[in-house]
Amino acid sequence: SCSSSEKLDLDAWKKVMKSGLQEEVSETISEHQEPSSLASAREILDMWRLAGRLVPENMSEEQLQTFIECPTKSAKKKYLKFLHLKELKKKSDKRKMEEKRKRRLESQERDPKTDETKRNSHICLWTNNMDKAYSWRAAQSMIFGQPLVFDMSYEKDMSVQEVANTVRQLVLSEGCNRRSVDPFHIHFCNFKENSLYHKILIKHYKESWGKLLITVTDQCYTDVFPKDKLIYLTADSPKVMKRFDHDKIYIVGSMVDKSIKTGVSLAQAKRLGLETAALPLEKYLLWNTGAKNLTLDQMMHILLTLKDTGDWKKALEFVPKRKYCGFVNK
Amino acid sequence: NIQPPEKPLQAQEWNRLKESFQLPEAFEEVMFNNMIRCNSPIDVAKSLMTHVAKSNGDVAYHLLVKYLALCVQQGQTSEIRDVYDIMKTRFRTLDSGAYNLLIRGLCNSDEWRMALTLLEEVRKTMVPSRTNYESCIKAASRHQEMNLAFELYREMLAKDLVPTFDVLQALFDFSRGVEGAQLQKELFDILLYLRENQKYPHKTFMWSIKLWFESIPGGHWRGNLTNIKDSGQCPVCKHQLEDSDLTEEEYNKLRERIVRDVIHGTDTFRKTSPQEFEAFQTFVENRLPFDIVIDGLNVSHIKPRKMQCENLFDAVNCLAKENTRLLVLGRKHMLVNSSNWKREIMKEMQNKADFFFAENISEDDAFLLYATLQSGKHCKFVTRDFLRDHKACLSDNLTRHLFRKWQRGHQIAFSVEGKHINFLPALRYDCVVQTTGDTWHIPYKDAFEEKYSYQVPRKWLCIQQK
Repeated sequence: SCSSSEKLDLDAWKKVMKSGLQEEVSETISEHQEPSSLASAREILDMWRLAGRLVPENMSEEQLQTFIECPTKSAKKKYLKFLHLKELKKKSDKRKMEEKRKRRLESQERDPKTDETKRNSHICLWTNNMDKAYSWRAAQSMIFGQPLVFDMSYEKDMSVQEVANTVRQLVLSEGCNRRSVDPFHIHFCNFKENSLYHKILIKHYKESWGKLLITVTDQCYTDVFPKDKLIYLTADSPKVMKRFDHDKIYIVGSMVDKSIKTGVSLAQAKRLGLETAALPLEKYLLWNTGAKNLTLDQMMHILLTLKDTGDWKKALEFVPKRKYCGFVNK
Repeated sequence: NIQPPEKPLQAQEWNRLKESFQLPEAFEEVMFNNMIRCNSPIDVAKSLMTHVAKSNGDVAYHLLVKYLALCVQQGQTSEIRDVYDIMKTRFRTLDSGAYNLLIRGLCNSDEWRMALTLLEEVRKTMVPSRTNYESCIKAASRHQEMNLAFELYREMLAKDLVPTFDVLQALFDFSRGVEGAQLQKELFDILLYLRENQKYPHKTFMWSIKLWFESIPGGHWRGNLTNIKDSGQCPVCKHQLEDSDLTEEEYNKLRERIVRDVIHGTDTFRKTSPQEFEAFQTFVENRLPFDIVIDGLNVSHIKPRKMQCENLFDAVNCLAKENTRLLVLGRKHMLVNSSNWKREIMKEMQNKADFFFAENISEDDAFLLYATLQSGKHCKFVTRDFLRDHKACLSDNLTRHLFRKWQRGHQIAFSVEGKHINFLPALRYDCVVQTTGDTWHIPYKDAFEEKYSYQVPRKWLCIQQK
C-alpha cells in the first residue's frame, strides 16, 4: 500500500500495556475471602474465561467445589461447558420473558378495554377447571385403572446427573399420564424414603408431591402384584412384545443409562423370575441410529397410545424421528 | 474468510478492513487465527497489536495468547519473553494454554531454562500436562543435561502421565555415546517400562535403541534385526525367548479376577445367574482337566454357507486327536432340532467332546474363560472373538496385562482357506521386550500406527553383548 512510507512503531502496544497496569493490580488484590483452594480455582477459571474458553460467568461455591472434585481434566472441561450452556439458556430465557412482558404492556396500552367487551357464558377459569377434571380422572384410575409400575431400584447404578434426568423424565411421564383420557394407575415401587430420587422429586413437585394421585411404596412390585401378571419392559429382553395386554402389569425401570450398562434391568427381571418384553421396534421401524432404549416419557406415550388404540404404528410415532428412517411397509 | 495482509498496516487501514468484515466484534480474533494459519510475518501481527492497544487502551488476554501462539510458531524468542513479562505484570496467574505455549516456545530456544521456572509455576496450581514435561525433557536432553531430563521423566511417570514414544526416543538419541552407569540404568528402565506396559516401539524408535546400545563406550553390544521362529528361538543368538506362561501367583490372581470382575461383576444376573454358574462349576469340577475349550457358537460360523452344526462338527473332528479332552460351550437353543442344528449330528458330537449348554440369554464367553483357567496352564481355548469386552471388565491395568499375556499364549484362532480350516496355534513364546542381562530382545512395529491390541509384531531387534 501507499502509506507504508510512514514509519510504524510496531512495539507501541507494549508501552500501552505496561503503562495501564497500576490501577488494575490494586483492584484485584483485596477482593476474595474464600478458602484458598476455592479462590485459586476461581482465579484459574477467570483466566480460562479471559482466554475465551467455555466457562460460566457466575459460579456458586458449591459448583466450584464440584469443579475441584472432578477427577480428570476432561471431566472439568465437560462440567464447565455444561454450566456455561445452562447459563446461556437461562439468560436467553430471561431475555425472552422480558420481551414478552414488554409486548404485553404495549398491547394493553394500545387498547386497554378488551376485557370488558368480551361476553361469555363461562368465567375464564380454564386451567383451574382442567386441573380438577384431570385430577378426577387420575383419582378414578387409582381405583379402576390399569397399574403401571416404575421400578425405582436403580439409584446405585446411576450418577447424580443421571438420577436428576430420570426424575425429570418421571415428572414428564406423570404429567402426560394425567392429561390422557384413560390414565394408568402409576406405582413407584422400591421407593426409598430420603433417597436421591425422593429429594429431587420434591425439588420438582414442591408441596404437590404429597398430593400426587399415584401410589408410592417401598415395597417391591412382586409383593404388591401377583408374579404371573408382571411383565418387565426392557430393551435387552429376548422376547418381543406382540400386543398390549390389558390384564398385565407392565414395569418400566426408572433408569437413565448414559454409560451403556447393558443388561441391568434384564438382570433385575431374571433375579425375580419375571417375564420380560421389548418393544417391537425392529418389526415396525427401519432403525437408523441410536440406542433402542427410550426415555421414560416416550415409553409412557407409547404405552398410553397402545392402551387406547392398540395401534403400533400410532404408538411408535413417539420414538424420536432421528432414530428411524421410516416405517416398515407391509 | 479474510486474508491477512502481507505488510504491517496503519491504523486507518486496519479500521477499513475491520469495517468491511461482516462480524466487526470478532475481527481481531478471526484475523489472528488466520495469521496463525498462514504463518504471517510477525510485523503484521505487531501492527495489529499496536492498533488494538491504541484504540482500546488495552489488549484482551485472548488476543495476547493468540499473538503468543504466532510467536511460538515462528520461534521469536525475544517476543515470547516480552509477552510473558507483560502477562506477568498484568495477571496473577495465566491459563494452561498460555503456559503450554510459553513452555513450548522457550524450550526451543536458548532460554530453555526459563521454561523450567515456568513449569515450577504451573505445578503450583495444576498438574502440568504431558506436553509441558515433554518439551522440558527434550530441551534438557538436547543440552546434554541427562540427569535433569530423567528427573523430569520420573516425575512425569509419578503423575500417571503416559510418555509418548517421541520423548522416549529423544532420551535414547541424546544419550548416545554418553558414559555413565546411572544413565545406562535409566535407559534400561525405559525398556523395562515398555515391557511392563506391553508396548512395542516403532521402527525409527527401534533404530534409536539399537544405535544407543552400540554406542555405549566399552559395552560391546551388537544389534541385529531378525524374525523369531515359531519355536521361540532367536536365529541370531540362539537364545530361547521367554514363554508366555504366567507364574503360579499371577495365574491364580487372573483366575480369581476373572470370576470376580467378568463373571460376577456388579451383578451375577447380568451375564448368567448364580444357579447356572454353580451348575457350571460342578460340571467343570467333575470333568477336569480339559485340553481345549471351544466356543461352540463362534466356531459354528466359520463357513457361512454351511450348516452351523456341520461347522462345529468339522472343528471338533479336527481338534479331537490323540485323547485330547475337549469341552464345547454352547447355548440351549442348539439342542432344539432346527435347520441349523440337526439332532443326530449334535448327538454324535457329544460322544467326542463334553458339552455344556448355557441359557440362551447367558454369556458363554465368561464360561469359556472360567473353564480354561480352571483346567490349568496347558489348556487352550478356541474362538475368533478378541474378548475385548471381557478384558475391559477387569478392574486394574495389571490384571489386564496378565490377561493379554495369557490370551497370547492360550488362544487358538482359526482361519478358513477354501475347504480347509486352519487352527493357528497360540504363540509359544511371549511377545514382549525381554532381557537376560547380556541379551535384549525387543519386538518392534513396522509402522508408527498403533496395531490392534491383539496383534503382535513378528519382527524383533536382537541385541547381544560380545
